[in-house]
Order: sequence, then structure tokens, then C-alpha cells
Amino acid sequence: MTLDPDISTQEALRLLTDPDDDPRGMDRRRFLQLMGYGVGAGLMAGGLGEVVGRDLLPGRVSEAWATSPVGPTDGILVLVGLFGGSDGLNVVVPYTNSLYYTQHGTLAVPANQVLQLNGSLGLHPNLGYLKTLYDRGEVAVVQGVGYPNPDLSHFSSMAYWMYGKSGNGTPSSGWIGRWLDGLAGDELFRAASVGQGLPLHLIGDNKRGIAIPYWGLGFGGGTNEYDLRMYDALREYAAPAGRGPWHDAIAGTVKGVVDVGQQVSPVFSRDLPASDLEKKMTVVARLINADLGLRVLDTGYDGFDTHSSQPAALSDLLTDLDAALRAFFTTLDDRFRSRVTIMTYSEFGRTSWDNDSEGSDHGTVNNHFVIGQGVKGGLYGAQASLAGLERWDRMAFNTDFRSMYASVLDGWMGGGSSTVLGANYQNLGLFKQAPGLGVGTGSLPPSVLGDFVGVTPARLYDSRTGRKLPLGAGTTGEVQVLGAGGVPASGVTAVALNVTATGGTTASNFTVWPTGDAQPGLPNLLSPAGRSVPNLVIVKVGVGGRVNVINDQGTTNCVVDVVGYFRTTTATRLQPVSPFRALDTRYGTGGRLGQIGANSSYDVTVRGVGGVPAGADSVVVNVTAVAPTANSWLTVWPSGQTRPLASSLNYVAGQVVPNLVIAKIGSNGKISVYNSSGAVHVIVDILGYLATGSPGRHFPLQAAMLLDTRPEQGGSGPVGPTSTTQLQVLGVGGVPASGVSAVALNIAAIGPSADTYLTAWPGGETRPTTSNLNPRKNTDVANLAILKVGANGKIQLYNQSGSTNLLVDVVGYFTS
Amino acid sequence: MDATQVAHLLRRTEYVAKPSRVTALSQVSVTRENAVDNILNGIGPVTIPTYIDHDIDGEGYQQWVYAVQWWLDRMIDSPKPIQEKMAFFWHGHFCSSWDKVNSAWAMMNQNRLFRDQAFGNFRDMTQAMAVQPAMLFYLDNLDNVKTSPNQNFARELMELFTLGVVDQNGLPNYTEDDVTAAARAWTGHGINWDTYDYKFWSGDHDFASKTFMGVARNWNGPDIIAYLLQENTAKKLVSCKFLTKKLWEYFAYQNPPQWLIDELANVLYTNDFNIKPWVKAMLMHDEFYSTTAMQGLVKSPVDFVVGCHYYTGYRAAITNPQWYVDGMGQEPYAPPNVAGWKTNGYWVNTSVFGARAEFARDITWRLRRNDGTPIAEGKTPEQAIAAVAAMFGLNLSTVSHDALFDYITGERLIDPNVGWWESTNLLTMAMMTPEFHLA
Repeated sequence: MTLDPDISTQEALRLLTDPDDDPRGMDRRRFLQLMGYGVGAGLMAGGLGEVVGRDLLPGRVSEAWATSPVGPTDGILVLVGLFGGSDGLNVVVPYTNSLYYTQHGTLAVPANQVLQLNGSLGLHPNLGYLKTLYDRGEVAVVQGVGYPNPDLSHFSSMAYWMYGKSGNGTPSSGWIGRWLDGLAGDELFRAASVGQGLPLHLIGDNKRGIAIPYWGLGFGGGTNEYDLRMYDALREYAAPAGRGPWHDAIAGTVKGVVDVGQQVSPVFSRDLPASDLEKKMTVVARLINADLGLRVLDTGYDGFDTHSSQPAALSDLLTDLDAALRAFFTTLDDRFRSRVTIMTYSEFGRTSWDNDSEGSDHGTVNNHFVIGQGVKGGLYGAQASLAGLERWDRMAFNTDFRSMYASVLDGWMGGGSSTVLGANYQNLGLFKQAPGLGVGTGSLPPSVLGDFVGVTPARLYDSRTGRKLPLGAGTTGEVQVLGAGGVPASGVTAVALNVTATGGTTASNFTVWPTGDAQPGLPNLLSPAGRSVPNLVIVKVGVGGRVNVINDQGTTNCVVDVVGYFRTTTATRLQPVSPFRALDTRYGTGGRLGQIGANSSYDVTVRGVGGVPAGADSVVVNVTAVAPTANSWLTVWPSGQTRPLASSLNYVAGQVVPNLVIAKIGSNGKISVYNSSGAVHVIVDILGYLATGSPGRHFPLQAAMLLDTRPEQGGSGPVGPTSTTQLQVLGVGGVPASGVSAVALNIAAIGPSADTYLTAWPGGETRPTTSNLNPRKNTDVANLAILKVGANGKIQLYNQSGSTNLLVDVVGYFTS
Repeated sequence: MDATQVAHLLRRTEYVAKPSRVTALSQVSVTRENAVDNILNGIGPVTIPTYIDHDIDGEGYQQWVYAVQWWLDRMIDSPKPIQEKMAFFWHGHFCSSWDKVNSAWAMMNQNRLFRDQAFGNFRDMTQAMAVQPAMLFYLDNLDNVKTSPNQNFARELMELFTLGVVDQNGLPNYTEDDVTAAARAWTGHGINWDTYDYKFWSGDHDFASKTFMGVARNWNGPDIIAYLLQENTAKKLVSCKFLTKKLWEYFAYQNPPQWLIDELANVLYTNDFNIKPWVKAMLMHDEFYSTTAMQGLVKSPVDFVVGCHYYTGYRAAITNPQWYVDGMGQEPYAPPNVAGWKTNGYWVNTSVFGARAEFARDITWRLRRNDGTPIAEGKTPEQAIAAVAAMFGLNLSTVSHDALFDYITGERLIDPNVGWWESTNLLTMAMMTPEFHLA
């Protein structure tokens, strides 16, 4: 006996829920039934014929129950339905507007009670926790939300919101469902409704969410072996039995009960709060924590249809809402904090005029909240005007609700709003950062997930030319990277630069970081006096499309070449591989035995070796110059193209110098390596490749120190000869605990006691015969490494000779 | 009829196919019509238990529980289960909810109408239902007064009780103006607040002329029903079709073909809304015995509970189904909304089906406490499967049989003796076979 006496609201919800009128899923019978039970005339217009002609959909009965975790940079959306039509004017109160007090009469919240958002708007006094979130900049208040020609019916209004498509079509599918349709894969744990069934908005044309009862699962969650064997047998019912479609549908559902029970029961195993939404939101948070792969969770509560006795009823409802938000964020694991956004919705708002029963009637416009760490807090859209009310004395809307959907889809859920919503709606720009940013990295730009675009290396900056000057001690040079050297002027998250220090008056180091950010502690490259030292740097683009380069000591010239950039739109993504030696001219590996001479080059085959597929666009390689006979440099570029005037690696005679290089692959599957002077042995180690369809999107982090062995810094002291250091990289320094394929590390050897080399490779794997750093005795060096993360979440560092301190910064990662 | 057809007929009309009934009605001498008559004949008034025929302050919930248990038990123990089956159909058609009406007296008065007139005349039932307190409360007609008309009842009278929104061609059966006029016609039909009986408040009634369906008259509420179900023969036929589709979907399968609706609707029409010949025509129809019909219906939660009770011998006072039916999606006397319950897929999803499994598990523990001999003990796997199938009246498919076989043989690989768990789980598994959930 839990049903609300308000028939209309309940009717609307019920009719929009529990859709399976056919064992094969959504079908026209359901639509007809919806029609028959009272879809408003506006929605019926032109829709019925189309519905009747629809083909039945293929079976969706509980076959694919596999789960995979939510990716570290995948946004999660929590929808909170305020059923019955919430009174937006009393939730976000225009407390200085005399029309509000005139029209809302006895319902109005006194000005001295509101929780002020600014000089004219305030939250209902029972929303204290929400106010705290607002003050933290995590709440977007979307004002004046509605749509054209509303009809004030609970049913058709809710259907319209759940449908979420432009035009007057039949609400045959829901906006989240259509978003699911666009996802790759066929996993059912992508969207769930915590309530009493599956509402329309979670039902797509081909895919659908799952229903998880809010009161918990009493069956299917057992853990003893006797139960588990019974569950296995019950699953066996789910096979075509030749007894008709309903037999099979029931069998599939029985299997589903067991499968869901096994996955979800732990969520309900601890005490839950008593109040309605607080309980549901606690369940929602636990479901997210369970990391079943859910991207959308839907819940809601009823009672907002306050035709009478509104003040007390609304106070109770908002108390529950506030408690629910607090419970949600208290329950939510920290690792998901930066990946979750909450959005409220309701079928409509309420009248600005009160009625004679201390209540309000069905309205047209509402205010809604979008809440989360990624949200750019503030006010969006315009408050609905209380002057000049429209048809039926209702307010005119300012913000189309589908614009709110578009903002969330494009800003948080990976895009695709125009497909999902059937038209382009304005993106309100509700987010300040992409999903998955760790705590403390809030200064990063709104969109930082990058796909890589390699460019033919181009020089962006050279302090030796023009009117520039060498960088003095502590001097910062600013390098314009956006719009230069083939890098677009916008949409770029990070750039890959080869930075060279040359001709320094003394030993020094360079640090490269985004303009406007704080300078990281670990330099990107260390340069002895008078010598040229290059290093690859992947750096987020800073203010004005620039990056900073600072020289620490003496006066040093600086050269910056761009080799590629990361952008938010789809391009190539990283697939790390276990290090593979593609070329070693000392031993004939890669088809070349013998040094590369002056002004000559060798083409190294990289496609089809070491796990690099035919479709790879670029390779990430560590290039090492060994025993050069003269001071010179190497250039790496796509085979078959004109050699650019840029160096990939500078070296001096007799030394071993490695550098990380990202090189586009020529159409013949090769990269060219050019040596300028003298003769040099060259080693090319493949660490990964970039291809369309690869999983790894780049994600720059503010540099975070993962290791510093220097005792004066509290470290454990230098590592010894032939020693291996294990280093945890997942779940530290802003790197998520899961969903990461590779990390970008800046590795430095400080104070080596002997000539040595260091190898970095994935945890749990056999050490390859590659090197990342080749320090000489008493010469500090640093190098960037892009490394696959081992299955144990670690990478390993090997030091060959002598002892040296090791410093490791993580500067980014790639998603899996 | 052969035993299969008889069992099908009995499951649909009497909830379960009791073996004695199957035997009796599948005799060679018994024709289909004999069997249907045997099911339909001999129905009379039923006395509502005293405890729930009046309101008792502070005991509303207990009264509801009692009313649920009483009804569920009647579905098995009544000599005429079809009467309960049809009463439940009308309950789901002319919905009122205990939650809103909040009166055992009013709800059971309405329930008496549904049961005693289950095979009476639909038009008479509609007139009676319209002015019973349960409906006056539930759809707010008691608030429908001349100065402030409330359309709730007038709208649902046409949308859900008689016509439907659109006809078979998708054309509207009524307009908003008709709703407005009907609401005005129903003004003043309210409650005597001393006795809580129906009272016509003439001061609240709008005696002015209204135009309903294009006819200007001094319409009163009951005139609207009389017009729709008698005077306007086109609307009368629309109503017959609307009701026929709903009846067929309740007893056979969803979305029946139009020719079938037309045929059976005509029976209702020509019998001037007398229900019994209409139901009889459905049960006599060849299509009712088609494969589509035989395989086409999922047990409602109430049907499932009744099945569990019958095959275990338990009754509702023991199993307390009132704790489970909300989770299953069907609380007697409390339909979710005025549109009532739908069928089939409405009951088949992981959200609500879990509650059926919980109920089955609850029954399992009861059986194990009360049953000294584990059902599989001393039996080969095949014998054990045959025993649970017989216990729950199951004609197992190969798939279900093999699942049970695999389970038993798997258990015995682990423990060659019949374990306590094996017999226990078999009971749950039998109640969760798809076969057990098909009506």
C-alpha cells in the first residue's frame, strides 16, 4: 500500500514504465497502448501511422550481462526526477521580485529565509547542502526551462521530457535510450533505473537500460555454494524451449533476476536511509561504486504535484532532496567524484499564481540543477518572467529542456546530442572540465581528452634566430603553440614538442609547462654546459595557446619543434605495446648492420613489427644514438616525405643519448632516421603506436611526483647497480586506478656515480633490452617515457651501473 | 475436448487445472459447450465477511490485508472461480484504489458489485459503479460541482471505462468539449456526509443545457452512460469493441485481430451488454484454443500466488502474499492508476520478477519446515524431476527438464547422497520454471 493518491502523476509514470508488452522488447503494441491510454493530442499528431508500421525489434532478453568498468574519463549521469511537476519558483526563489510575492501569495518563501545565490535569487531554505555545493562552484542552475506548446498533462509532458526529441513525433523511445543506441558494445549494465520499472527515457530503439528495484533484491544475491549451483541451473532455463515467445521471455527474465542479483545485491547489503529519495540516491551511489559499467542512473521521487497544502509538502520534499544529495556524495567513492554529474528533471513547473487551496497548478516552466565536480557552477538561462504571462496565465520558457540535454550529452557524456535529440540544441556550456579529472587539477581546461594528430616536425621557437635572446637564468620564454606549425588554433588539448637546450654557458635544466599554471618541480630536460640536449615533452596548452619554457641556470638557447598535438575530436589514439626493438645497427636488428653515416638515412620498418598493425598512423619510439663519431643530430620523419629541418635527437661524440620520438609512419610502413654528421649507431625501440580505433585517449595531468629517491627529500636513497625499482602508477598522482593503458612519465637520473643506462618497462613483464636514459657519470639527465602500465598497475625501472637517484613525475596518461 | 484443451480452459477460467476438474470435463460425452457451461453456470451472490464490510477506525491496513487474503483464497476455494476471475477483471477495469478511497466499506461495496454482477449487465454495472462512494471518491466526482467542474470522472468514463481514446481506425471517440459537457452533467453527484452513501446535491448540479456529442440537452450524469451504451448505437458498438479487446487480452493473448474483436463485440452488442453470453462466446471460440492463445498469456502476480497456494496447499493467511504483491506489481484493491493493470510483458522484467522468486523462496522454506521427506530422497534424477513436476502441475519443456537434470546430477557429483539443499532448491526451481508462470 505505497501508492500515491495522485492518480494523474502515477498514471503518467506507470504508463511510461514497465514497457515490455512483447517478449521481444519494445513494439508497436506498447505504443498503441500508450496512445490508447491518453497521450495528448499534440503528441499523437502524425505519429500513429509511423508507429503502426514499425518492425518488431530483435530480442533483447538478458543475454548480454557482461560488465566492464566505467572508463576513467567516461562521464556518469544521474537523473533525479521530481515527479508531479516541481514548483521551480519556490526552489530557486526570485526573492526581490514583488510579482513573485503577489502571485505566489501564501506559497511564497519569505525573502529573509532564502539561501541567497545572488542579489535576486535564493534557494529554498531546506536546500542547505545544495547551497554548499553551489558555493563550491559545483551547481549549475538552469533557469526558465520548458518547451513550446506544452499541454499541462502529466502524461504527455512526462512523455515529452523522456522522449527528448525535437518535433511532434510519437514518444516511442527515450533520449537516454537513443544515447545507449550510439554506444559500442552490447552491455546491459550501461543504464539503470532505480525505482519500480524501466521508464521510457531509458529505452532506445535498439538498446535499453535495466530496472533495479529500489527496495533491494531478495533473490539472486546468495553467496553460498548451494545457492550458486541453483542459480546456474536457473540460468539454464534461458534457451529457446519451443513453447512460444512468452515462455522464452520468462526464462530470460529468470536468468536476468539471478544475474542482476549476483551483480547488484552487495549494494543493498547495508543499512539504507529511510526517506524516499535519500534511500534511492544512496543505492545509486553504491551502484556507481560497484563499477558495473553504469553510465546513466535514473531515479526520482513523487509528490511535487502540490495542488494543495504546498508549503509543508514542498518543505518535506526538498528536505529529502537535500539529504539525498548529501547521502549521495557521502557514499560515492572519491574515485568517481570527478566522473559524476547529477541532473534534475520534472514533467513541468507550476503556476506562478497560487490557487485557492494553498497550492499551485500545472505550469510550463521550471528551474533545474546540474550538479557535480565537473560542472561550471552558476546561473544559466534566464528566469521566466512573471510579467506578461502567456496562454492560460502561464510563464513563457527561455531555455528548451533539450538544450539542457544537449549540454549534458556533449559536455559530459561523450557527445552525439544532435543524433540523440534529432536536432542541434544550444550547448549551455555547463561544464568546466571533462569527466575523470582528479581532485586538485581543477585548473585544467574544459576539455582535455585528446586524440593525437601527428604533424611533420616544424620549428616553433628558436632563441638563436630573429630578435630573440638566449634564456637567462630563471628566464621564461613563452612559446605560441596554437595556430603555429600546423597546430590548429582551437580544439587542442596538448602538444607534443621536442625541446632542445643548446649552447648553455653552464649546466642547466629546462622546464616546460602550460602558461598560466604553476611550474612543476621536475625539469623536462637537463643540459650540460655547451651541449645540445633534446627531449620530447607532452604539455597541456596554457593560457593564450602558449606554453612556458624556463631555463634554470646560466644562459642557454632554446629550440622548440612541434611533432604533433592532441585534440578533442576523433583522430588517432595510443596503443601501448611492450617495448620492442625495431632497429639496432650494432647487431643488424631491423635489417641494418653498421653505423649510419654522415648526411645519410635509413628507413626502419615499424608497421607489422612489435605489434604495430597496418593501420597505425604514428609510432612512439625511443631513439638512441650510440657511440657517435662526431657531434651531430638525428632527424626522424615519415619515410617517403621531404626531410624537415628539425632534430629529434642531438648528441655529442662518444656518448649514448636516447630520446622519445613520436613519428608519423610513411605510406610504406617505415620511418626514416637521418644522421647529420659523422657516423652513429642507432637503436629504435617501439613503445606504442597511434591509430584510429585504438583505445588510448591522452589525458594531461599537472605533473605529480611519483618517486624521488633523494634522501634530502625524504627518499630512500640512490638505487644501486643492476637494481629494479617497482613503481605504482595506477591510482596515484591523478592517474585513475583503472581504465589506464599507458602513462607518460618524466624520468630523471640525478647524480649517477657511473656511466649507466636505465630501462623503464611495464610491471610484471620481462625486462626488455631497451634503454630510456643513458646518463654519464655525474651528469644528470631526464627523458620522457610513454609506458604501457603492467597488469599489476606498476612500471619498473632498472639501473645498470653505479648508483643514482631517480625522480619520476607523471605528466599524463592514456585511457584504455 | 481433450485433456490439454480442458486444462487450458480451466487454467484461464479457474486459475488452476485441478485434476478432478480436468478428468470430469474431458470425458468423451462432455462437449466444449458443456464444459464452458459447467464453468459459467451456477454463479450467485457472495457474502462479504463482516470484518471488512464496514469501516473500523485504526484497522484500515489490517482490513486491507484481510480483504486481500480473503479474495486470494476464494480464487482457489470458491466453487465458481470464474466469478473471482471476472470480478478481478472488472476491478481492473473500473479501478478504484484503497489508498485513495481509504474505506473498507466503500471498497468492498464496489467489490460486491464486481463479484455479484460479474456476469450481469455491463451497462447496469456502469451506472451502479458511477454512483458508488468508491468511485465518487477515487475519481473526485464528489468535488465536481457546478461552480467548479472536475473532469476526472467524466474523462475516464469515456477514455478508460467505455469508449477508449480512439476507435479501431485511430479516430477520436470524443472531444474535449464532450469531456467538458459530461463533467457538467456529472456535477452534484456526491456523498451524503452523514451516511457516506451516494447523494445527489441538486444545488451543485448544473441544470443548464449542455451540448454532448453534438446533442444539446439538459444532460444529467446517468444520461451520459445511457447515451453512450444505449442511445447512440455507434458509440455502443465502439464500447463493445473496446471491452472485447480488453477481455480477450485478459483471458487469451494481446492484440487480437480485428475480425475476432468484431465477432465477439457483436455478441456483446446483440445481447445488449449482458456479459455471460459474451464470455461464453469467447470461451467457445476456436481461436481460444489456438497455439497463440495456449502460449499467449503470462500469469499475473495474483494468478501466480494462487497457483503457489493451490499446489502447496497453503493459504494466504500462512504465506502473507500481501508482503510480496507490491514487489510483483499487483496489489489487489490498489491498482497503480485508473488505467488498471496491463498484461504479459507488464509482469515480465527483472525488477518485478525478483519478487516472484522471493515468494517462491518463502514458500520453499515453509515446505521444508513442514515436509518430513525431502522430495528427491530415494529417487533417481528422473524420478525426482517427475515428482516436482507432478507436485506443481508442470508439463516441463526439454530445456527446463534438462536444467533440473543437470542440477540434480551436479549436486550428486558433489554429494552422492541426496542433500538437504537438493530437495529444497528443487522446490524453488519448480516454481521458477517458465512453465509455472504461463497461464
